[in-house]
Amino acid sequence: MNISQPSFKLDYGGKIEREIEKLISAFDECNFDTGRYPRRWLALKLLEADEDVLVRVQAAPNGQKILSVAQTGSKHLQDMLGDEVDMLAADRRYGFINGVVRQALQRPRLDRITLTDRIDDIVTHKWLGLPVFFAVMYVVFRLVIDVSSPFLDWTDAVINGPLANWIRLLLDLVPLPAWIHSLVIDGIVAGVGGVLVFVPGLLILYFFLALLEDSGYMSRAAFVMDRFMRVVGLHGKSFIPMILGFGCAVPAIYATRTIASRRDRVLTSLLVPLMSCSARLPVYVVFGLAFFGSRAGTVIWAMYALGILVAMLAGMVFTRTILKPDASSAFVLELPPYRQPSMKSVLIHMWENTREFVRKAGTMILLASVLMWFLLNLPWGVADQRDSYFGKVSGAISPVFAPLGFGNWETGGALVTGFMAKEIVVSTMSQIYLNDLEAEESAPTTFVEDLPGIVRGFGEAFISSGRIFLSIIPGVDLVMDETEVEDTVLSIALRERFTPLSAVSMLVFVLLYVPCVATLGAIKQEFGASWAVTSAVYQTVVAWVAAFLIYRAGLLLGFA
Amino acid sequence: MLNQLVDLLARQRDGMSLSEISRALNAQPSAVQSMIELLVRKGKLIEIGPDGKACANCGMVSDCNLLAAHGKRYLPAPVFLDEEIRLTPPSA
Repeated sequence: MNISQPSFKLDYGGKIEREIEKLISAFDECNFDTGRYPRRWLALKLLEADEDVLVRVQAAPNGQKILSVAQTGSKHLQDMLGDEVDMLAADRRYGFINGVVRQALQRPRLDRITLTDRIDDIVTHKWLGLPVFFAVMYVVFRLVIDVSSPFLDWTDAVINGPLANWIRLLLDLVPLPAWIHSLVIDGIVAGVGGVLVFVPGLLILYFFLALLEDSGYMSRAAFVMDRFMRVVGLHGKSFIPMILGFGCAVPAIYATRTIASRRDRVLTSLLVPLMSCSARLPVYVVFGLAFFGSRAGTVIWAMYALGILVAMLAGMVFTRTILKPDASSAFVLELPPYRQPSMKSVLIHMWENTREFVRKAGTMILLASVLMWFLLNLPWGVADQRDSYFGKVSGAISPVFAPLGFGNWETGGALVTGFMAKEIVVSTMSQIYLNDLEAEESAPTTFVEDLPGIVRGFGEAFISSGRIFLSIIPGVDLVMDETEVEDTVLSIALRERFTPLSAVSMLVFVLLYVPCVATLGAIKQEFGASWAVTSAVYQTVVAWVAAFLIYRAGLLLGFA
Repeated sequence: MLNQLVDLLARQRDGMSLSEISRALNAQPSAVQSMIELLVRKGKLIEIGPDGKACANCGMVSDCNLLAAHGKRYLPAPVFLDEEIRLTPPSA
């Protein structure tokens, strides 16, 4: 039974139409029943050599005769028109559809080259992508250091000046033993305060990272680095935990759960701690500003880049030794269009990350500072910190660091305490060195007396930072000599014990050595104790070797 | 339309992406996509990755990040084959 023929007939052109007619005639001549198929449609499909239709027709009565006619017609058309019939028919159909759409529909050109396309042509370019990524990170770290330095000075001045004075004043109101005064001022204020000084730097760092993320650039960075990582045998998904590792390695280790293969998860977790987490930033800033002044941003950027480089090299070694690759799984990365970052979202991101840092300062670093104070003052009444329990243990391990250029007991001890959290390296140094220095004699002041100075200092820091920020614009130079970075007490103490070369060696060691206890805990929880031990051992060995090579190479090249 | 598309690609040494072809033909990508699929199926076009290598020759087709971000590019088959012959060392 034939169904009703459609009233519309697409014209396939004279030659094809003639062959269609011949076939339709053949249907009648051969008594071929087309069944439920429209005769014209069936004729066209036979000329197109549609496999399904050919099979069905062949099985039908008189089908062979029809196939023979169709093959002859099809070959004839192909000889005449130079292409297969299905292509010719499709060309006609698409041509007709295109014509109808053009006549019936008016719409703006949606597929013009967008700004996103133009930017992506550069930032995800095969060769330009990686230099652009490093350039962006360089600018960000320069901005973080330069723009935040007036605020770092202000925070340092407030914590070690008025705040310490107010706490002293409050303690004097209560009859407490002298050692409690020392514990609070020399232990807690020096330790926790030494870390909190860097909150403005972190706020600004997270501000710029949030800007990059919200604008859509971070996805491009992941894309660019992903290609680079595949070259050195890593999984494409690995870079996402690594980007998280710039904030904190612990959530980054847990983020490896998105990777299907256990081997890839283990490998990524071994490399994530090599990314410079925000806890290392205070160490970089302290040493950077003490030894390299206005070039501190470059040094810090170099540390971030070195971390990535060492991760790549370590990945290559692991891939070729104990973690040989298995079958890789698919990785699809969505590149969202660029958009103007929402200030609210940026500020929330900035605050949430910094709050975590402040929370850690109020818990783990506070605890470590109290513990450190006791270790520095036991046996009770010890006159020289070098003779304290901490001093003796630190003195015993310090020869290990002597070949790296920082064999003093203070640094050895600070690095050991950094195992708890990297910021504690700074808080320990603050406690040790600030105790060594004579406290400046200052007249006791009240909150009301100090407040105008604090507010004025903040205003000056704000203006200086604003000038530095605006000086990014080419041709604008608002940076004046008085905005030079001020020396902190810790900077002066560090310059007495380190040279610029040994400071770089120290930074490299801090970048690469054993992950903090929380990170190792995360690795143990995810993959077992053996991988946590592997991570601790290999990173410490790599850190020692890298710092040794840099220090010795620097000496050979004549750097001090 | 199909011939127009093949002719267009024949003039592009580095091939064209779906969006570029759509722009050139002033047609919607969804419409062009089915034409391209037909031409690829019929062996008239060859799919290549954004790095210029044939997707069919690469084991990473579904795993390729370049493709995920930039999509495939298309070349007329004969042009591509010439390139392959030229790139193949004599000893291979």
